Amino acid sequence: MLALPLLVGGWVSGPQSTFETAGPVARSQTGLMYVTLIVVMAIFVIVAGVLTYATFKFKAKDESGEKAPVPPQGHGNPLVELGLIGASVFALVIIAIPTVKGIWYTYDVPEAERANAYEVTAIGYQWWFKFEYPSEQIDNVGTLVNANELVIPAGRPVRINLRTFDVIHSFWVPKLAGKVDMMPNRGNHLWLQADEPGYFWGQCAEYCGDSHAVMRFRVIALAEDEFAAWVAQQKQPARTVTAQAEAPRPALAGYTFTNPGRNAPGWTREFDSDPLGNWRKMQAVPSAEDAALIAHGRQLFQEKNCITCHTVRGHEGGGVTAPDLTHVGSRTTIAGGLLENSPENLHRWLRFPDEVKPGNKMWLGIGGMANVSMQGYVHWDPETRSFTDKRNIEVDDDEARALVAYLHSLK
Amino acid sequence: MSTHAASAAIDHHHDHTTTTGIPNKKLFMWAFLASDCMFFGALIATHLIYRLHPVPGSQEPTTFFSIELTSFSTFILLMSSLLMALAVNACQKGNVPAVRKMLIGTIFFGAIFLACQVYEFTHFVHLGLTLSSSQLGSTFYTLTGTHGCHVAIGVLWLVMMYVRTFKPHDGAKGSKLWPYYSLLHVGVVVAAIVFCTWTVLDATHAILEHGFNGEAISAYLHHGMIPLVAAAVSLIACRLMARSASAEDFGEANAIDVESMGLYWHFVDVVWIVIFTVVYLLEYL
Amino acid sequence: MEATAKASFTGHDSPAKTEKRSWLFTRPTATTGLVSWLTTVDHKRIGFLYGVCALFFFLVGGFEALLIRLQLIVPNNTLLSANTYNEMFTMHATTMIFLAVMPLSAAFFNYMMPLQIGARDVAFPRLNGFAFWVFLAGAIVLNIGWFVKSGAPDMGWFGYAPMTSHQFADRFAGDMSTDLWIMGLQILGVSSVVGSLNFIVTIINMRAPGLTMMRLPVFTWMTLFTAFLIILSFPAITIALVELMMDRSFGTGFFEVSQGGLPVLWQHLFWIFGHPEVYILILPAMGIISEILPTFSRKPLFGYPIVVFSGAVIGFLGFGVWSHHMFTTGMGTVATAAFSLATMAIAVPTGVKIFNWVGTLWGGHLSMRTPMMFALGFIWMFMFGGFSGIMHSAAPADAQQQDSYFVVAHFHYVLIGGSIFALLAGIHFWFPLMFGRKVSEKAGKLSFWIIFIGFNTTFFPMHFLGLNGMPRRTFTYDGNMGWNSANFIATIGALILGLGIAYYFYVMIWTYFKGEKVKHDVWDARTLEWAVPTYPPPAHNFHVTPTVHARDAFWYEKTHQEEIAKEKAAHAKDEESHGGIHMPSQSWFPLIVTLGLLIGAIFFVNHNYVGAIIGGAILVLGIYGWAIEGPGGYHLHVDKEGNVTRDDSH
Repeated sequence: MLALPLLVGGWVSGPQSTFETAGPVARSQTGLMYVTLIVVMAIFVIVAGVLTYATFKFKAKDESGEKAPVPPQGHGNPLVELGLIGASVFALVIIAIPTVKGIWYTYDVPEAERANAYEVTAIGYQWWFKFEYPSEQIDNVGTLVNANELVIPAGRPVRINLRTFDVIHSFWVPKLAGKVDMMPNRGNHLWLQADEPGYFWGQCAEYCGDSHAVMRFRVIALAEDEFAAWVAQQKQPARTVTAQAEAPRPALAGYTFTNPGRNAPGWTREFDSDPLGNWRKMQAVPSAEDAALIAHGRQLFQEKNCITCHTVRGHEGGGVTAPDLTHVGSRTTIAGGLLENSPENLHRWLRFPDEVKPGNKMWLGIGGMANVSMQGYVHWDPETRSFTDKRNIEVDDDEARALVAYLHSLK
Repeated sequence: MSTHAASAAIDHHHDHTTTTGIPNKKLFMWAFLASDCMFFGALIATHLIYRLHPVPGSQEPTTFFSIELTSFSTFILLMSSLLMALAVNACQKGNVPAVRKMLIGTIFFGAIFLACQVYEFTHFVHLGLTLSSSQLGSTFYTLTGTHGCHVAIGVLWLVMMYVRTFKPHDGAKGSKLWPYYSLLHVGVVVAAIVFCTWTVLDATHAILEHGFNGEAISAYLHHGMIPLVAAAVSLIACRLMARSASAEDFGEANAIDVESMGLYWHFVDVVWIVIFTVVYLLEYL
Repeated sequence: MEATAKASFTGHDSPAKTEKRSWLFTRPTATTGLVSWLTTVDHKRIGFLYGVCALFFFLVGGFEALLIRLQLIVPNNTLLSANTYNEMFTMHATTMIFLAVMPLSAAFFNYMMPLQIGARDVAFPRLNGFAFWVFLAGAIVLNIGWFVKSGAPDMGWFGYAPMTSHQFADRFAGDMSTDLWIMGLQILGVSSVVGSLNFIVTIINMRAPGLTMMRLPVFTWMTLFTAFLIILSFPAITIALVELMMDRSFGTGFFEVSQGGLPVLWQHLFWIFGHPEVYILILPAMGIISEILPTFSRKPLFGYPIVVFSGAVIGFLGFGVWSHHMFTTGMGTVATAAFSLATMAIAVPTGVKIFNWVGTLWGGHLSMRTPMMFALGFIWMFMFGGFSGIMHSAAPADAQQQDSYFVVAHFHYVLIGGSIFALLAGIHFWFPLMFGRKVSEKAGKLSFWIIFIGFNTTFFPMHFLGLNGMPRRTFTYDGNMGWNSANFIATIGALILGLGIAYYFYVMIWTYFKGEKVKHDVWDARTLEWAVPTYPPPAHNFHVTPTVHARDAFWYEKTHQEEIAKEKAAHAKDEESHGGIHMPSQSWFPLIVTLGLLIGAIFFVNHNYVGAIIGGAILVLGIYGWAIEGPGGYHLHVDKEGNVTRDDSH
C-alpha cells in the first residue's frame, strides 16, 4: 500500500505541493511534518509488527483449535503498561520540541529580519483576493492595490496582514507557507519568504460559500530590481491607446470564441511549462492594437455599469468592492486566479460569469441573493427562486470582444 | 424491586433499591444540573467576551441598571430558596399543609422575581437597550432571559407540585376525573399569578408616572380594571379549589419529588447569584 | 403507605387498584403491532428502533458521499452544481455524525448496557422512549430541506459564522434551510442529553448485586464516559445555536460582523462541543472492540483498569484540546503551543488502548470469526487515523494540513475505520443475541474484505491529495494540479466501499429472515448480556436478577455453574415472594410530547409563531399528562419451566 503512490507517480508534486517547498516557512513546516512522520512510522512498524505476529502466532488453526483448552486468563502486566506509556511520552517529546520551536518561528518574521520585511495587506472577498501595498503610495490616490496576483520581492521576508469584510477566508500558498485564516473583526497575519524568483499557486482554504472551490490566486516573487520596476509600472495610471478611426468592429478581433461550458478548465500546458516567463511576457505592450475597438470597449465599460464596482485608475470607475482593473492586462489570470488571462477566457468570463464562478456578483449583483441592492447580469426572483430573463446587464459577443480588447490594453 | 418495603421510618438519604443508595430522581437531577452549568457557563462566557471586546460607542450598562431593584429581586429569590428548603423539610416530615404553605410562599417569591424582571426588561427597552441595539443588549437579554425561563419553568413546576398535593388516592371518590380537574386547578393558579403580577406592574407604572397621589389611583383604575378583577376572581377560585375531597395521596413518599424540584430551584438561585455578580456588580467595580 | 413509600424511591409509582382510570390515562398493553412499538418503553425495542433509523440514515449519508465522490472523479466535472455539492457535503457530515454514528452507538447503549449490568430496564423507561422519538423528530427537521424550496443547508456542518447569517446563507428572502439546520441540531441535542442522563443514572444506580464499578464491562464504562461527554459538551453547541437563532430570528448581533460580533466565538463554542463529540463517536467503538477481542481471544482484556482509566483520561482531556481545530485562526503563540501539547498528551491514553488490545490477543486462542475480522480491521485503521492525528497535533505542520484532504483522510480513518468498523463488528457480534440467528462466516468475511479494500482505496490516496495541496469542500479542481489519478482512484474505492456496504446490508437482511439459528452462548462469550435465558432476550431480560462475582460475569457463571444455580434458585424464590418481576408500563406520552415539539419546531422555523405556540402547548400538556399518569407498572411471574405470566392486578 505504501508503494502505491510511487507506482502511480506524481502524487507528491504539483503546483500546490507541500513537499516542494520554496521558502523557509514552508520548509520548516514540511520539515516538522517529516519529523512527525518518522516518529509515527517508527511506532507503526513496532506496533504493526507485534500485531501481525500476535494475529498469526495465536490464531486458532481450525474449528477444533477454537475448542482447545482455554488459554491462561491473564489480566495484564503493570510493568509492560508503564513501560509503554513511558515510551509513548518519549516519542511525543521528540515531536513536541520542534513543534514549539516551529510555532514561534512561523508566527512572525524573526526579530533579526523584521526591519527588512516587506509589508502587504491581503483582503479576502467572496470569491477573490485584494492585495494592498501600504509602503507604495501613489500621489493623490493612496495605496497601490492589486487583485488576485500578489507580487513580492524574492529573498526578503514578506509580512502579510490578513483581513476580510464578508465571511471567513484562508490564505494558503502551499509552497511558501501554511495557511492562516482571514477572520472578520480580527486582525491576523502571516509571514513568508520566497528563496528565488518564482510563480506560485495559492487558494482559499476555508469554506466561504458557493464558489469557494474556485477562489484562487497567485504569488509572483521577483528579484529586487524587477520588483521595483513592476511597482513603478503599477503606480502608473491606466494606459490609454489613442483612437485613430471611428469604431469599426472586426468580426473576430483576433480569436474565435466557443463557450466551453460550466466548470471548463482555463489552463494550458504551454503556460504551466514556464509560468514566470509567461508572466514576464504579459507585462509587455503588444505591438499592434486596434485602438478603435479599445475605445469602444472603454465606452462599454462605462455603459454596462462595470464602473460601479471596478476601478480603472486614470480612466473611469471608482468602485472598491471588485478587483482593481488598472493593469488587468498585465496579469496572468482572471476570475480570481481561475482562468489564464487569454482573450478567449476573458470573453467567456464576461459573457457567462455564472458558468465560471457560480454565485458571483457580476451575475447576481451586490448584497447577496436575499437582499439584492444592485442587480447584476440577471434578475433574481426571490419568489420563484429562479433567474428571470429580465437582464440588467447584457453583453453580447461583439461587445465582449470590445471589452476584451480594452481590458487587455490595460498593461 | 419489591424487596425493600420501607416500613416505619423512611431514610431520606438512602434508597436501598438502588446500587448507590441515592434515589434515581436525585441522581438524575444532579446530572442534569451539571449539564445546565455548562449551558449557563457558555452564556456567561459570551457575555464576558463581548464585555471585553466592546464596539466603539457601545452602550454603557450602568446607565440602564438599577442596582437597588436588582439587589431587591436577588434577595427575594434567595428567600424563596429558604422557603423551598422548608417545603422539602415539611414534606419529609409528612406535614402536607405546611408543604402547601411553603410551596405557595416559594411561588409568591418566584413570581415577584419574575415581575421585577418583566419590569426591568420593559424599562430597559424604553431606555433604548434592545436585543439589536448593541452587543450588551444581545448578551444581557439572552442571558437573563434564559435564566428567567428557568425561573418561570420552576414556578410552573412548583404550581404543579402544589396541585399534586391535592391528588386523591387511586380509586377514591373523584380520582377518575382528578387529572382533568387538576389541569384546571393549575390553570387557575397560573392565571392568579399572571393577573396579580399584571395588576402590581400596572399600579407601579401608574405611581411612577403620576407620583403617589389620587391622580395615580384614578389613572390606574382607568387602565387596570380588567387585570384587577381577573386577579381577584382567580384568587378566589384558587382558594375555593384548594380543598381535598378525600385524604390526599401525598406525603412523605413524595419527599424525593419535592427534593428534586428543590435542587433545581436552589441551582437556579445560585446561577442568579453568579449572573448578578458578573452582569451587574462587575459594572460598579 | 407502604406501597407508595416503596414506589417513590424506585420510580415506580403506586398502580391503579380498583377503579378504572379515565381513558386518557389507561396504559396501553399491546405487545405486538404498531401500538406496541409507538408506546414502547422496553430498552431493547428502543435500541432496535435507534438501530434501524441509524442504518437508514447511514445509507442516506453514504449515498450523499457517493455523489460527492462521483463529482470529483475527474477534474472540472459538471455532475453536481456548486450549490448542490455544498448541500451534499454539509448534509453528509451532519447525517453521518448525528443521524448515523451517534444513534447507532445509542442503539447499542440501549440494547446492551442494561443487559450488561443485569438490569430489567433503564432507570427512566418512558424518558428513554422519549429520547428516541425526539431523535427521530430532529432527523426529520434536518432533512425537510431536501423537499422544500429552501433546499438543504449548505454552509457546512460546522456552520462557521458569518456564513450562517441572513446575508450570506439565504438564497432568497425567507430561506429557511439554515433555520432548519439550527432547529434540527437543537432537537437532536435534547435527545442526546436526555438519553445520556438516563444512561448515567442507570449505570450508577441499577447495577446487579455484586457488580462493582471495577467489574463493569468495558462497553458499559465507555457508555458512561460517552454519556458524561454528551451532557457536558452539548450545552456549548446548544447555546451557540440559540445565539445564532436569536441572531437570525430576533435581530441580536452575537455573530453579526456589522454589529461587532466575533465569528471566532462561534468557532470556540462549536469546538468546545465539537472535540468532545469526536470522543462521543469513538469511545463507544472502543468499548465494542474491548468486548469482541477478549471473546474471540478467549482470555480477559489485557490491563482492564488501564483501559478504563485511559477512557476517562481521554474524556477529560477531550475538553482541553478543542482549539486544535482552530490552529489557523491566529490564536497566538502561547495558546497554539498549549493546545498543541494537550493534543499530543491525548495520544498517550489512546495509544495505551491500542497496546492493550494487542496485549489481549497475545497468548490467546484467536478464532477468526467475522466480528473478530472487523475488530482487527478496526485496530489497523484506527492506528492509521491515530498516527495522522499525531501529525496534526504539531501546529506548524498542521498549518499545511488544516482544511486539506489530509484531514479528510485522517478523520475518515478514525470515523469509518474506527467508529463504523467497530459498529459493524458490533452488529455481527450481537446479531445472534438480538435475533437468534447468525450471519454465515463466508458472507460476513466477504463483506468485510470488500469494505476493507474499498475503504482503503478511497481514503489512503487522500493523504497524498492533501499534502499535495488539495483543499476540502471544493466542488471542482483543475487538471494541472497533480490530483487527477488520486481522485480517480478514491472514487473507484468509494464505489467498491458502497458495494461492500450494500452487500453487508443484504447479508444482514437475508440472515434476519433465513439465517442459521444459533444455540445459547454462540461465541463462548464473557459478559453478562449473553446470560439472558433466550436469544432474543425476553421482555424482562433475566428470569432472575443475576449476582455478579467477577469481572467477566458470564464467564464466571459458566465456570461455577453449581454455585450459580443454587444462588439463582434462592433469588427466584425471594423475588417471587415480593410480588414477582416488576416491569414498567407502556405510555403514549413520550410520543405526544415529541409531536408537540416537532410541530412547534417546524412552525417556528417558518416564523409562524401561532403554530409554534400550539406545538408548545401540546408539548406542555403532554408533559403534564406524563407527570399525572405516573410511572405505572405490572408484574411478571416466571415458573420453573421458564413460562411467563403477566399480572396487572397487583
